[in-house]
Amino acid sequence: MFYKRTIPLIIVFVTGLLAFVHEFVPHPISAAFREEMTTWFRIIGGFGMFIGVYSLLHMHTMRVRRQQAGWGYSAFVFLGAAAMIVAGIVNEPHGPLGPAPEDGTMFDWFYMNVQVPCGATIFSLLAFFMASAAFRTFRARNIEAALLLVAAVIVMFGRVPLSAMISDAFPRAADVLLECPNLAAKRGILLGVSLGAISQSLRILFGIERTYMGGGGD
Amino acid sequence: MAAPIQPERTPAQRVAETAVLIACALGFLAACIAIPWPKDGPSKLSMEGIGVFVAAGLTLIMYSFLYRDNPLFKVAENLYVGVSLGYGAMMTWYLSLKPEVVDPLVFAPTGEARVDALLHRTVPILLGFLLLTRLSRKHGWLSRYAYTIMIGWGAGIGIPIVVHTYILKQLGPSVQPLTGNVWDILGGVVILVGTVSVLFYFFFSVEHKGAGGAVSRVGIWFLMVSFGASFGYTVMGRVSLLIGRVVFLLRDWLQLNL
Amino acid sequence: MSAPDASLRKALLARRVVYLLLAAAIIVTALAKIKMKVVPSPLSRQVYDRIEKLAKDKPGAPILLSFDYDPSAKEELYPMSQALLRHAFRRNLRPIVMTFWLNGVGLCKELLERTAKEAGKESGTGFVFLAYKPGGSNLLLNMGESLKGAFDKDFYGKPTEGMPALAGVASLRDIPVVVGIAAGSSTEMWIAYGRDRFGFDLAAGCTAVIAPDLYPFLQSDQLFGLLGGLRGAADYEVLIGKPDSGVGGMPAQSVAHFLIIGLILVANAHVFLRWLKRRREA
Repeated sequence: MFYKRTIPLIIVFVTGLLAFVHEFVPHPISAAFREEMTTWFRIIGGFGMFIGVYSLLHMHTMRVRRQQAGWGYSAFVFLGAAAMIVAGIVNEPHGPLGPAPEDGTMFDWFYMNVQVPCGATIFSLLAFFMASAAFRTFRARNIEAALLLVAAVIVMFGRVPLSAMISDAFPRAADVLLECPNLAAKRGILLGVSLGAISQSLRILFGIERTYMGGGGD
Repeated sequence: MAAPIQPERTPAQRVAETAVLIACALGFLAACIAIPWPKDGPSKLSMEGIGVFVAAGLTLIMYSFLYRDNPLFKVAENLYVGVSLGYGAMMTWYLSLKPEVVDPLVFAPTGEARVDALLHRTVPILLGFLLLTRLSRKHGWLSRYAYTIMIGWGAGIGIPIVVHTYILKQLGPSVQPLTGNVWDILGGVVILVGTVSVLFYFFFSVEHKGAGGAVSRVGIWFLMVSFGASFGYTVMGRVSLLIGRVVFLLRDWLQLNL
Repeated sequence: MSAPDASLRKALLARRVVYLLLAAAIIVTALAKIKMKVVPSPLSRQVYDRIEKLAKDKPGAPILLSFDYDPSAKEELYPMSQALLRHAFRRNLRPIVMTFWLNGVGLCKELLERTAKEAGKESGTGFVFLAYKPGGSNLLLNMGESLKGAFDKDFYGKPTEGMPALAGVASLRDIPVVVGIAAGSSTEMWIAYGRDRFGFDLAAGCTAVIAPDLYPFLQSDQLFGLLGGLRGAADYEVLIGKPDSGVGGMPAQSVAHFLIIGLILVANAHVFLRWLKRRREA
């Protein structure tokens, strides 16, 4: 219990306190401390990737082992990952200890011709879904929904060059809407979220919020 | 990606749709062979040419999802996940682990540089390895030592930064003196009223009744206008992505002069 | 056919008609080769003017461009990144390019190498590609203390110490202008952990989805300009006098928006007429 819970809570409090206090100490020692700590996080961050890779591959291994619906498709996850890792290790002409893969390598080819088109296309599918959803569900049933609809139409209309060719008033209306009521609402949300973030940080520092500890023993 | 709910298909429809899918695939291959490519550009059989065909094929397979979820889409989707994963892993090696861990310790140019690296990098490297214990059920708690340092630091340094950047710097322009022309004054008033009413709407410690209810209702109106603006911009963003892919298919694959 | 099945089929048909209309609108407009005049917005012009001023006041000054996106936002942000790089190269500024998105490194590299080749610039002298390091906000703090400490080598494995493109740049404090092109929340990070601490001028380029969220920072002068989505890219291409895919995409963008607005209005008119009819009957 002491090693699993108390020491981590002490570490959070002490590190947090040092991070907070050093912000108000304009001294070279304070700057050196910040540089040392941020270097640490840069290095630790690299190890985080392993957890992501393992989690995803583990999930697909389980899918295959349990023969869940569509388990056969998981083979393509392994195939894609293996192709990239092998191409990345081969890394012609430098090998795995040289600089990162250059243009014209197989690694680069897979990235540009598989990852880029798939990634770009998947998100573009949302254009169809949004158009269809707008047509089927976007109704001015009450004052709030009407405000939402009118604002959306003004922005959609005002932000394309065709509206400016009809009248300068349309882009100006969109600008006014974005720079006044939209700005005010976003600022209200920003202030609210910031206050929430501060309270959450304090809860973490004082050990009230502990969900980040996750599982792995008590 | 979850497919939209669709009515059940009859066996005959299934056969017909599979036939259409195969015909589309064959049509794509035929188009790749038949499309004339300019002589001064890369040849169809070069790596660049094959790359364009692969990218175009994957793009069309992704769009086939709009008709119905299908095996080709699932293959492309899973391949994409795998390639992204492999790319991320290898780039982490080349841009993070190799230059931060291996090079300074193993390939240090001088003994002095190696001692310096040992001094400054041993602790974070050990913490990095501790992070990996998260993968073990029995020893997962050890990863807390690495997490807690990062979380404590983030929480501690975050408080003054959030106060300075997101609160103080944002409050100032919300309560500016009402000067300038009538539009500037009106704009200033709208921003002040909007910010206060939205903040009040999120203040749940007081029941939203009477005058408070009216302020909260004004806050909802401001929020609706802002959500509408966000929706409008979101449509714009998604349409832009679609335009980019359509232009790729027409210009790079079909070699049309746009 | 059961009633729920019939209504599902009706909804499916409506959905597919909308899909077809949208696809047809974009394909036909692209094929029609329509040209459309783009008048740059004031927010885009502010970005352009500040970079022009930088080139005039400090010839050969460094400018940091952070391309924080991956292939999912390529079609929106790649054109504006390209226009910004072309502008920086044309004015003989020294772009320092990096990304916070691991899966965006390849796109950055391809774009940077192509635009540098166009401009006849060499890595290490005309520009530097720092690529990626993990750490997010901590990396920014690290760069604020020592840029060459945070990135001791560039993407190509060359030491940054003594690199001519980084001459006079010890930390973020020595960079007068930063432009963050973001598909996520990195603009807020650049404001909080970069601009407000180290004093450089910051502009944002972003996907259209997040553009409305950044307006509070424009009014508070924490951002000096904003390029929003493909329209922002089109504005910038017009400003630098080199129209490309941003300007080329605007006719299709206009037609698609008009179509979606039309669909919304038709659907609402239908509901309104039905309501009117019911009211009359009552």
